[in-house]
Amino acid sequence: MRLHHFKYALKILIKNKMLIFWTFAFPIILGIFFHMAFSNIETSEKFQAIEVGVVTNEENMMTKSMKAALEMLGNEDDENAIFHLHDLSLENAEESLKNKKITAYILLQEKPKVVIHSNSIESTITKQVMEQIVENQSILMNIAEEKMAEMSKEEFSNPEVTYDKIYQKIIEEINLQRQNTNTIDKSPKKLSYTMIEFYTLLAMSALYGGIFGLISINQILANMSSKGKRVAVSPEPKKKLVIGSVIASYLVQLVGIFLLFFFTIFVLHVDYGENIPGIVLLLFVSSLTGLSLGVFIATISKASENTKTGILISLTMFTCFLSGMMGVSMKYIVDSNIPFINQINPASRITDGFYSLYYNNDFSRYFENIFSLLLIAIILIGISVHTLRRQQYDSI
Amino acid sequence: MTKNIIEVKNLTKKYKENIAVDHLSFEVKEGEILGLLGPNGCGKSTTINCLLSLLTINEGEIKIFDKKMTPNAYDIKQKIGVVFQDVALFDELTVIENIDYFCGLYIKEKEKRKKCIEDACKLVGLEDYKKYYPKQLSGGLLRRLNIACGIAHKPSLIFFDEPTVAVDPQSRNHILDGIKRLREEGATIIYTTHYMEEVELLCDRIIIMDQGKIIASGTMDEVKALAHNHEKISVQIMNLEEETKEKLLKKIQKLQGVIAASFENHTLLITAENGTEILETLMDRLKDFNISYQHILMMPPTLNDVFLELTGKELRD
Repeated sequence: MRLHHFKYALKILIKNKMLIFWTFAFPIILGIFFHMAFSNIETSEKFQAIEVGVVTNEENMMTKSMKAALEMLGNEDDENAIFHLHDLSLENAEESLKNKKITAYILLQEKPKVVIHSNSIESTITKQVMEQIVENQSILMNIAEEKMAEMSKEEFSNPEVTYDKIYQKIIEEINLQRQNTNTIDKSPKKLSYTMIEFYTLLAMSALYGGIFGLISINQILANMSSKGKRVAVSPEPKKKLVIGSVIASYLVQLVGIFLLFFFTIFVLHVDYGENIPGIVLLLFVSSLTGLSLGVFIATISKASENTKTGILISLTMFTCFLSGMMGVSMKYIVDSNIPFINQINPASRITDGFYSLYYNNDFSRYFENIFSLLLIAIILIGISVHTLRRQQYDSI
Repeated sequence: MTKNIIEVKNLTKKYKENIAVDHLSFEVKEGEILGLLGPNGCGKSTTINCLLSLLTINEGEIKIFDKKMTPNAYDIKQKIGVVFQDVALFDELTVIENIDYFCGLYIKEKEKRKKCIEDACKLVGLEDYKKYYPKQLSGGLLRRLNIACGIAHKPSLIFFDEPTVAVDPQSRNHILDGIKRLREEGATIIYTTHYMEEVELLCDRIIIMDQGKIIASGTMDEVKALAHNHEKISVQIMNLEEETKEKLLKKIQKLQGVIAASFENHTLLITAENGTEILETLMDRLKDFNISYQHILMMPPTLNDVFLELTGKELRD
């Protein structure tokens, strides 16, 4: 590589105002829009606990169990609680329902009943939750009865072993299983719509950066530009020029993507989780994949520079669309129906790499994505190098 | 004996079935300016691109500085400068940066390069525009910068591919003067154009091309002689009656050496084997008819006349 060419390749890219806007400023502007749009969605759509009255008509093991289940769903300390429960007498419950202080009240009896004032999403949720509780209750009772049937005569004659205690023991066992399941789920974060958007934004920016490689290589190809012709007749070997241009493009691209990354962290306060080195490595690799895509399009197509840029932008937007940029569900639709597409889709590989770090702490999946991206980059660069070896053309 | 800088033998370039350059053979001697003349699409630029090894060739051999020209012949490329037809500049770089970038592909030493850049700016008259960006320059100045980028490294062989297309007269004069100075400094030049007056002004030898073939070559006089062209005399006469016109024409047509005579509006046009010899007789005849004239012009044959005679079409068709 000649430092002279590298220096000017860098200068030409940095001084291209349009290019810098679309690759540096545009993703940041898009990030600001995402921040404004999605952070509001998440806060405005935060679930409000449903005000529900509980009227205990009968005091028995069944109603106690149902009330315990309801209290689990209406824990005041839990910000994600579904219900805000009020212990009321029947008269007070009727009065509160009439005054719309509560959405519904539940009559706890052998056959529990949900009384609502009018149909609404909240009343439907209350009904469905209660139906689920009753169904679970029924399953638990069946298990308790089976347990009693399996008991030996000694156990059966033991006065301390009662139906209530067996039922209670089963519930404790189920709770213990649930706790064990919770400890296995090491997910450090809860799924956030905003995070998915920022991941696809980083993926888009990484792939979008391929424009630097595209333009830089286009300028040294004799069959693509008059500048390329002038460079081609110089005594400078083509490989030195290509290496200089590619390194200059990669550097500018990295500056762009890290500018976006730090902007989202320090200005938009996006929380990328604990594993920042992992994210940084992924940004380096994904930028390399983007660069290789740009170089690939520059070398294999004979179209004009504008057409090539159009192809790269369209391809980037389409791959980001498939990976969930314009709607998170798209990624899952593609994953479930045509998983092969997302296997070879660099944008999906990049976002999946972020998910695996952020949501699962799954390093095997993370490295699988890193290697997939490197493989895509190697294949694209390999084809480009083969094409770039050509020094003479049939037509110019 | 002056040595050959370029030797081309049997050069053929085809685009599928279309033959762009058809078995071309010629030499360029050291220190001369060779003009490649022909209408648009005659194969001039293709020939240059083949010589520079940018295009694959179907047949033939190209030697430059006595060595076979290939894409990897970097020692040959080091001594060549090219000014392409299209302006090849970076909009993001200033005048001085553009020249420095292209010159730096040939010369690594900074100090030497600095001197070369200064000389190039001076040669094309861009000393006052060094900090300007290409977008701030007029078409003529852009062409001058295009030339400076191609010749700043002081090459001994320079290709100029139509460097004056769409250039204002002031810039054209600057460019042509610069090319003359490059020749004085010892450069060998290949100059392609379809402006015959430029060729007549600059070139020592010319090659006229049409449809990929050489249709005439040699010095200016040799080429003109090839076409057996004749001198033309035009006389502007106002207020002449039709009857007098006819009588005058009959008298002139009978003069020895006159090939053709006719009136076009108020101008009498005469084609003669030797214009100077009949000029005196022509003046006498005008006096006999008591005709006064505005002005008389005598024009020697031009390359356009040669081209017209050889191909039946104008150079700028």
